[in-house]
Amino acid sequence: MMPSTRTFTFGREVMLMVVFGALVLGMPQWLTWIGGYEALATKVLIWALFALGFDILLGFTAYLSFGHAAFFGTSAYVTGLMLKHVSASVIPAMLAAVTVNLALALLLGALILRRSGIYFSILSLAFAEMLHAAGLSIFAKWTGGDNGLTMDTKPVLLGIPMEGRPVFFLCAVFVILGFAVARQIKRSPMGLMLQAIKENPTRLEYSGVNVMAYKFAAYVISAVYAGVAGSLMVIYEPYVATKFLHWSTSGELVVMSVIGGVNTLLGPMLGAGFMLYFENVVQSVIGEQWKLVLGLIFVCIVIFLPGGFMDLWRRLRALLGRAKSRRDNVPDAPGSIQEAREANYAALANMEEAS
Amino acid sequence: MSGNLVNALTLQVLTGMQLGAVYALIALGLTLIFGTLGVVNFAHGALYLIAAYLAVFISTELGFFAAVFIVPALLFMVGWGLERGLIKSFYSRPHTDQILVTFGLALVTEEGLKWAFGSNNIPFPLPQWGTGIVKLQEYLPFLDGFVAFPKWRLVMILVALTVISLLFVLLKFTRFGLVIRAGMRDSGMLRFLGVNISQRFAVVFGMGALIAGVAGVFGGPITQVSPDVGMHLLVPSFLVVVIGGMGSLGGALLSSLILGMALSFTAEYSAVQQIIVYLVAVIVLLVRPRGLFGKQGVFE
Repeated sequence: MMPSTRTFTFGREVMLMVVFGALVLGMPQWLTWIGGYEALATKVLIWALFALGFDILLGFTAYLSFGHAAFFGTSAYVTGLMLKHVSASVIPAMLAAVTVNLALALLLGALILRRSGIYFSILSLAFAEMLHAAGLSIFAKWTGGDNGLTMDTKPVLLGIPMEGRPVFFLCAVFVILGFAVARQIKRSPMGLMLQAIKENPTRLEYSGVNVMAYKFAAYVISAVYAGVAGSLMVIYEPYVATKFLHWSTSGELVVMSVIGGVNTLLGPMLGAGFMLYFENVVQSVIGEQWKLVLGLIFVCIVIFLPGGFMDLWRRLRALLGRAKSRRDNVPDAPGSIQEAREANYAALANMEEAS
Repeated sequence: MSGNLVNALTLQVLTGMQLGAVYALIALGLTLIFGTLGVVNFAHGALYLIAAYLAVFISTELGFFAAVFIVPALLFMVGWGLERGLIKSFYSRPHTDQILVTFGLALVTEEGLKWAFGSNNIPFPLPQWGTGIVKLQEYLPFLDGFVAFPKWRLVMILVALTVISLLFVLLKFTRFGLVIRAGMRDSGMLRFLGVNISQRFAVVFGMGALIAGVAGVFGGPITQVSPDVGMHLLVPSFLVVVIGGMGSLGGALLSSLILGMALSFTAEYSAVQQIIVYLVAVIVLLVRPRGLFGKQGVFE
């Protein structure tokens, strides 16, 4: 089993959620202390939700999707169209967006989940690009093509106009809820199955587990997270850019997840915060080259610190002799499950010798 | 009447070949690297970019013919250095890490070029002999009336054909090619036989980059030279490789031709043209999940 998974206690879980909730709700406050501004907090939360869902796919199953912009963007467009043409109320718009996203995830998943590894990455990228191209050409009448989709009405939730603080609280609720759900998924039998897919899908298949169903579930769940995030993005800023469907959105998602540290749930959210902080605050210091610097940071992290920031934290603790450095996303990396298992075998062999 | 149809068909086939030629050159390098090293090079579009930018500067300074020789040689060195310096240490790491690191390199290249030369298209003047049009009816007697085709696009087709033939000869008739082909089949076995495969793999990576270099020199004037072209070309090239079957050179050639034709014959319906490449990919992968020439058990 996972070497570092501590036993679940209700009290600990509640404590953790309280601390997390306080951090999220206090974000507009503490973000200003480190040079950010209030409105940035909402954006950070939206991306954090997006990255959190992505971690259920990439972190748990190691399926690297380069096409999650498809879900984010589609949902954004559906929300935008609903708000513009049907009603300014947020609830039907979000429901419609998530429903469409579910359908899209089922369709795309049936096509690309048959393949794994690099094929999956390439195909997910290709289909997302197809949607982007279609959004600019075939659907240009609805999407507004290159100009994007603009709305003149303010979205409303139960009579509250959605701007400023209310949007932030809406996003915060979704992020806290999303985090709680993701944690439960992670420690559930399903979560273990998903982690097992990353380790050895063939073996899992042979032991009678329907691997396809599990990875499909992970894919769809991450698509729903992406859908909610895309929807919130439009509620936060009533404008749908074609960039939401572009590969660079998927790329940013991958970058922030890896920088933060995949399969940690907290890591990708941290990465999302870091990236937006970089984009909005650090940019004003170092100018337009922030993307180049971020790219360099990303490459360095992939090469030297594949476990991301979360692993940096662990390495620091390891220096203090508290815990072992470990990366979570790869089974055969040093310090991971494989090593723990081999240590077990060695211990068993020793016991047999002794007896 | 029928003469017009033949004219139109000829033009569309030529356009298809030209579009396919650019994809073929990029996809050949991709599939060569993938087939031998098992690395999916997300930075291949970036290599094309580097080549195109280098070609612009070298051809304005030293003339186009200098660029034709210098740029691919430089790119070979870039590819070789990349493999020795970075990719080498990623063979033992998971496929996703290889994708991530090459993707990171692609980002850095794109942003670096943006920073250095701006995000706009920079002009790539054609050499004097390559401008203008060719009157096809002078060479193809079955054509009726006046049929013109841009000269440079014909050059592009010829260059692609030359590169492909050279690669074919190299792989089929030399000892080096034999080792590479064997390595694509079963690199573990080759290692057991005492062949120093890792050194040759660096050369393969360099060759992949070299072909991207040739594509950059000749394709640059057609595809434009701006930082986002790299990724723009990479996605269809990936599809070419996947449709043809990962690691299959013949498959890559055939599928780049198919995609080129599909693009050329749908040009009148621009909405369809935007997504035709992906539609073809969907259909092929539904019918043959491993691609046209993909073999069972290869990198699965």
